[in-house]
Parts: sequence; structure tokens; C-alpha cells
Amino acid sequence: MNPMGVVPTTDPMPLPGPVWLMTALLLLTFTLHVLAMNAAFGGGVWTLWNYLRGRSDQHPYSRRLARELAKALPILLAYTISLGVAALLFVQVLYGRFLYTSSILIGAAWILVIPLVICAYYGYYYASYTAESGRRRTAVVLGLSLLCLATIAFLFSNNMTLMLRPDRWMAMYRAHPNGWNLNTGEPSLLPRYLHMMVGAVAVFAAMLTQVGMRRLKQEFEYGRWMVRRGATVFAAAAGVQFLLGMWLLLAQERKAAMMFITDPVAGSVFGVALLAVVASVLLMLIGAIAERPTRLVHAGFGMTMLTVGLMVTMRHLLRQAYLKPYLDSANVTVAPQTSVILLFLALFVGGLATVAYMFWMVRKQSAVST
Amino acid sequence: MNYPIWQLGYPGGMLIALVAILHVFVSHFAIGGGAYLVVTEARAYRTNDAGMLDYVKRHSQFFALLTLVFGAVTGVGIWFTIGLVAPEATSSLIHTYVWAWASEWVFFYVEITAAILYAKSWETLDRRQHLRLGWIYFVAAWMSLFIINGIITYQLTPGRWLQTHGFWDGFFNPSFWPSLFTRSAMCLLLAGVFGYLTLGGEASATRDRLVRWASGWTLAGAIALPAGLSWYFAVLPGFSKPYFSGIVVLQHAARGGLTFAAVLVAIALLAAWKPRVMRVPLMTVTMLCALGLMGSNEYMREMARKPWVIQGYIYANDVRADAIPGLQQDGAAAHARFVAVDAKSDNYGRELWVLECSACHSLDGYRSMRFRVKGWDAEFAKEMLAHLDKTRGPMPQFGGNEADRVALGRYLASLNPPEEHGAVTDSNRMRVGERAFQVHCGNCHTINGSFRPLRGAFQGSDAEQVENLLPMLDSMSPNMPHFAAPEEDTKALSSYIAEEANRPIKAETTTEKPVGGGVR
Repeated sequence: MNPMGVVPTTDPMPLPGPVWLMTALLLLTFTLHVLAMNAAFGGGVWTLWNYLRGRSDQHPYSRRLARELAKALPILLAYTISLGVAALLFVQVLYGRFLYTSSILIGAAWILVIPLVICAYYGYYYASYTAESGRRRTAVVLGLSLLCLATIAFLFSNNMTLMLRPDRWMAMYRAHPNGWNLNTGEPSLLPRYLHMMVGAVAVFAAMLTQVGMRRLKQEFEYGRWMVRRGATVFAAAAGVQFLLGMWLLLAQERKAAMMFITDPVAGSVFGVALLAVVASVLLMLIGAIAERPTRLVHAGFGMTMLTVGLMVTMRHLLRQAYLKPYLDSANVTVAPQTSVILLFLALFVGGLATVAYMFWMVRKQSAVST
Repeated sequence: MNYPIWQLGYPGGMLIALVAILHVFVSHFAIGGGAYLVVTEARAYRTNDAGMLDYVKRHSQFFALLTLVFGAVTGVGIWFTIGLVAPEATSSLIHTYVWAWASEWVFFYVEITAAILYAKSWETLDRRQHLRLGWIYFVAAWMSLFIINGIITYQLTPGRWLQTHGFWDGFFNPSFWPSLFTRSAMCLLLAGVFGYLTLGGEASATRDRLVRWASGWTLAGAIALPAGLSWYFAVLPGFSKPYFSGIVVLQHAARGGLTFAAVLVAIALLAAWKPRVMRVPLMTVTMLCALGLMGSNEYMREMARKPWVIQGYIYANDVRADAIPGLQQDGAAAHARFVAVDAKSDNYGRELWVLECSACHSLDGYRSMRFRVKGWDAEFAKEMLAHLDKTRGPMPQFGGNEADRVALGRYLASLNPPEEHGAVTDSNRMRVGERAFQVHCGNCHTINGSFRPLRGAFQGSDAEQVENLLPMLDSMSPNMPHFAAPEEDTKALSSYIAEEANRPIKAETTTEKPVGGGVR
């Protein structure tokens, strides 16, 4: 079966904006979504671990951290979802014909994302209300929420890899037209999934070092504990990530993987990303090991953010490489809706300003009242 | 025909309906409830009412839990389901309105932030600032309705967009304002209805006051609603207005909606008069009526658009109107990407059923196909497929060539073949004739009913004259299929038509039932 024959034709409606702008917005919102997801999922893993650890009197900091984190979890999940919606919009307009098809092929599993998010979300709320109690049930509910989120991530990994493989579509459709398919035949599925999940724990660890740094002024010991713990876990997880990343790269089709060596842009992104990871680990560890953690921790965090951005770019380049034959042959017309784009950009900036204003108002008042 | 079909075993539209109705129920509350929170809070401050303030604090927690989680995630759920069930239409919508959705998303994240902070900052913000958060929330929430309303109404009445394909032509379309008004009224009503839920159980003067307060909101919405719905009905496309008198389910939905609204008004009045009746049983009835009202409104809107997803542009089975000529010339297999069997295979008919029909019909359940094709033979089915858009229910044109109609016709005829009725005698002639009428004529005509009645054409004719006319139908009008039936059936049918058309009747009192109970 010629895979060209199954890829849906492009939509006869023209693209309503320049491809570069929509790609930029996709990458921006997806990066923010990934960061929020890392905070929500990675934060959840951290909360559960510290909650369990903190049940012993020997670990008061763990107990405290778990309680503080639990309160933030529902909010982090809210932003994960909200930012994911934006990325979903732009990925649909740019790659809809691939994504709709792969979604339908795994439809029965894909639709489960919705009830699973609802369950995970209510579980997070439950944990946030009951974290003070130290009860076992809170840990169980939190664990179930994490299980829901991990399942969702697995479904996303399936869909995002399947949308790149039109050659598999017809056989899958014939096998299970009711949508009970998964892309488990994909060699890169497992490393990709694990890379995302371990990455979430690592990135959250990096975020925690920043929370710790802020705490140093008021509660030095607790703040330093956070920084050190965050930096240690970050370094360990980054090591695992390195191995998973290599596995992920080797699991790609040869042509796609070679791009990171032969193509100057992809090669540079890959090279800088590797350097950024190494730099982030070193900076983080050196900064955290000092008697009083130093600014190097901030630099390490900055490098981590850069790494996330570069990883998102690499992911995009891989997608482009896999879809190249289909994108090249596509007859895409562009008719920018300029007035609406300008309106959106104005609203976007206005919206960010409103959000910043609301947080500013609440923070200022909280600072006054404490 | 670009995408694979998610073969659930029932029409995917049902899944969209389930997710969408639950979502709009909560999301309209998320808008009206936002106004309710901030207005109630302001009133509590103004009247120095500590009881009311306690209530609104409690209500804000419930509000955040319901709208932020269930409301927001089911909204994402609509994206998931429409992409799975109608990818072609979803792709078209996203190509036309991605910037509208992106703008709506801006309001969405403002809304989420405001709701979270509003519920969390009762003790930390001063009154003025806290109210400001509430207003920011409400404005953002209503603006998201404003935008989505433009897209939903565009699907029903695209107006000048069909000629220009211009963003604003589709957005500010003929049903935009009536729909916005109606939905805003619904938001008010739901603000009151959900307002009852957090009153607490203990009877007190405060609780009585709060019941009256919430009832006022319910009533305000309920009073505005009929005006909005009449306005909305007035701008419906011409083709869909007759549905409300011709499609039985739609009539049930309209009557149900009216009944639910009337019960809600009665409950709100009763509660305002005797606040202590507002206990769990009555709250349950209130919630169910509100859900029923919302559901029937949404159902009517969806049905009024049939057979389209985007009126005049994409049919409900995800086939573009402008693709039909190509499909009719080349056959579906030449255009469909996901056909699991060869066009020459015996199973190709079933494949076409999946491609063309299964978006709206199930085999045995909702809009059962087996029920609808009862008594059809392959030849008749093939003829019917060429005239689908002329039938009584809202059906799209068939997207396939003659060979496709033969294949699909054969499959449809196999679902529920004609029954043997034995020899036609005087005692069973009318029954056989009536059955033949339902099979051959009733999909598009009545005899004495309101839908394309045949009385005028056949009054004064006897059975023999009718029988002579039947073989010539297709030469009399291109809208008529070729008539072919066994001779005995033809004679029985002729007798039945002649008898019915000459039966003395009182005007408008026919009891004639539409085929398939009119369920489309």
C-alpha cells in the first residue's frame, strides 16, 4: 500500500495565517504546555514521594514540602490543560490531516483522555484539600491521579508517533476499525514516553531549586534542603534522560536520526542541547553544594529551560522530517486573516497583562497581610 | 471521504451530543454563575449581609470545582469528539476560525486564572479588589461565549460566508445575535438553578432570603428565554422551519423544552413564595429540568441544521457539497482514502454504508437503518439513493456513482427484505397496499397529510388509473424514482392510493403516520 494514497488531501480552505507565525505559536504554546505538564506531573510525583516519606517524623521537611506542593497541584494541572488547548489548536491547523487520522485509528483509547483528565484533576483537588491529614487515602488518591496522568501521556505518545507513520494506517484500520489500536509497533514509542515522564520529574526538580532559592532568605535550612534535594534529583534524572534520549534517537528511522548529524540546523540544535544539559547539571550541582547555595543554581535552571526549548525544537524537526514527503507534495495556499490575527495578538498581550495584573494584586496584598 | 471512519457501532454524533450537552450545561453556568457570584458578593457588602457573604464564599468553591474541572475538560472533550467523528468539518472549521478559537483561548486562560484567584483570595484581598477579580472573570467568560457563539451560529446560518468565505461574514451571521441573547438568558437561568445547590440544609431567614435571590435569577433567565428563542426561530434557514412541524422527534424536543421551562418557572415562583420547599428533592427536579431544557435546545439547534454540519458547505456525513459531483461521476472508491475492501468485493456495499450513512444512522439502534429500509428491494434502494435529498427527512445527496448505488442498495435491501404476504385477496388488499405505499411512496409523500400530499393528484382517480400512472412516474418528474414492484403489490398499492385519496376527510385531521414514525 502506497502511504501517499492514504494521507488525506489538504483542506481546500486556505491556511488563515502565515505558516511561520502558526509554527511559532505552536512551538511557544507547546513549550509552555510541556513546562506546565512537567510541573503538574513531575510535581505530583514529588508530592507523593515526599508525602509518603513525610509520614515518618524523621522527615519533617518532606512532610512540609508535600503539603505545600499538594495545594499547588490542581492549579498546575489547570494551566497544563489550558496551554495544551492552544497547542492543540495550532497543531490541528498545521498537521490536522495527520493528527485527525491517527486519532481516529486509536479513537477508542484516545477518547479516554477526557475522563482520565477529569479523574486526575479531581484526585489532585482531593489531595490538595487533605494533604494536611497525613492519611493513607490521600496517598492512594494521589497515586491514582498520577496513574491517570501517566496513561494520558502514554496515549499522547501513541498518537504523536502514529501521526508520523501513514504507512501503518491502513493495516491498523483494517485490524480494528473501532479504534482499539495503539501504536505499540513503533520502536521509538517507549523511549519517547519514558523520556517525557522522566523529563517531567527532572524539570520539576529544577523548578524546585528555584522555589528553594527564594526560601533561603526566610528559612535558610528548609530552602537549602529544597535546593540540594532538587539539584541531586535533577542531576540523577538528567543522567537517566541522557540514556533515554540516546535510546530515543537510535529508535528513530535512520534517515531522521542522521539529520542531527548531517543537517546544520538540526545538528546545531542537538549539539547545543547536549551542551546545555551538561551545563545545567554542572551549574546546578556546583551551585547547590556550597554552604549557601549560589546564583549558579539560577544559571543551571536557565540552562534547563533552554534545554526544554531545544528539545521541543528537535521534536518539531523530527516531525517535519517524517512528514516531509507528504508536506512537500501538498498544495497549501495561505490567505492570512490579517485583521483577526492582529486582534488576536492584541488580545493575547492584553490577556497576559490581565493575568499578570491579577497575580500582582493577589501577591501584593498577601505580602501586606503577612 | 478523506479520513477513516471511527466505527463505534452507533452514530458518532451521539457521543458528540453527550459530551456537548454536559459541557454546555456547565459552561453556561460558568458564565451566568460568574455574574451571580460577583453580584451576590457586592450585594452582601452593600446590605451588610454576613449570611449572604458566607454563602457566596461557599458557592465560589463549588463553582471553581465544577467549572474549572468538569466544565473546562468537557470543552476539550468536544474538540476530541468532533475531530474523531467529523474530521473534515473540524478541519474546515479550524481553517476558517483558528484565530477566533485562539482569541477564545486567551479569554479561557484569563478566566481560569481569575476563577482560581477569586476562590482563593477571600481572606487576602480587600473587597474592591476581590470584586474586581470577579468582574474580570465574568467578562472573560462571557467573551468566550461571544466568540464560540459566532462559530456555532456560522455552522447553522453561514450567510454571506458561502459566497465570500470572509471571516467576519461568517462570524456575524444572521443567527449570531439571537443566539447570543438566548444563550445569555440561559446563563442567567442556570446561575439561579445552580445557586440553590450550595444553600446548606439548615432552615433560617438567611436561607429563605437566598432561595428568593436565586429564584430571581432563574426567573429573569426564564422570562428572557422565550423572547430569545422566538427571535432565534425567526432567523432559522428556510429549509429547517418545516422540520418543526414534520419531524416527530423534533416536535417532542420542542414540547419537552417548553415543559421543562414552564416547570422551572413554576418552581422558581413557588420557591420565591415558600422558600422552605427548596430541599433536595425539588433541587433534583430543578436540575433535571434545567438539563432537559438545555439538552432540548441543543438538540433542536443540531436538528435544524441537518443534513449539514456547515450549512451549504459540508454534510453531516462529513462530505463536502462541492465533492458530490465528482463522487457521483467517479464513484466513492476513487476519492475515499480508507476503503477496507475492493470496490468489486461483495462487502463493498457495507463499506459504503460505513462511509456514507453511519455518521447519522445505526443498524438497529438510534435512527435504525434496518427499520427504515423495511421491505426495500435492491432495485428500489438503488433508486432511492439517487433521490435521497428529496426524501421526507433531512438527507444529503448521495456521494457515489451508479455502481455505488447498486452495491449499497444491495446491502440495504439485505437488511430487512420484503416479507411474503401470500396471495392478495379482498381481505388483505388494503394492508398490502398500505405497506407498499410506505415502502415505495411514504419516504417522500403522504396522501392526506401535510408533507407533499398526493390527494390532489389522485382525487377522483380509480385504482386502474393510478396503476396506469405508476410506471410513468420517473418520466413525469426527474425528482421521482423509477417505480418497480411485483404486479400484485402494484395493484394493491393502486387500490390503496385510490381509496385513501377519495376518502372523505376533515381538513388537517389526518392520522397518517410518517414512515419510520417520522424519526429522522
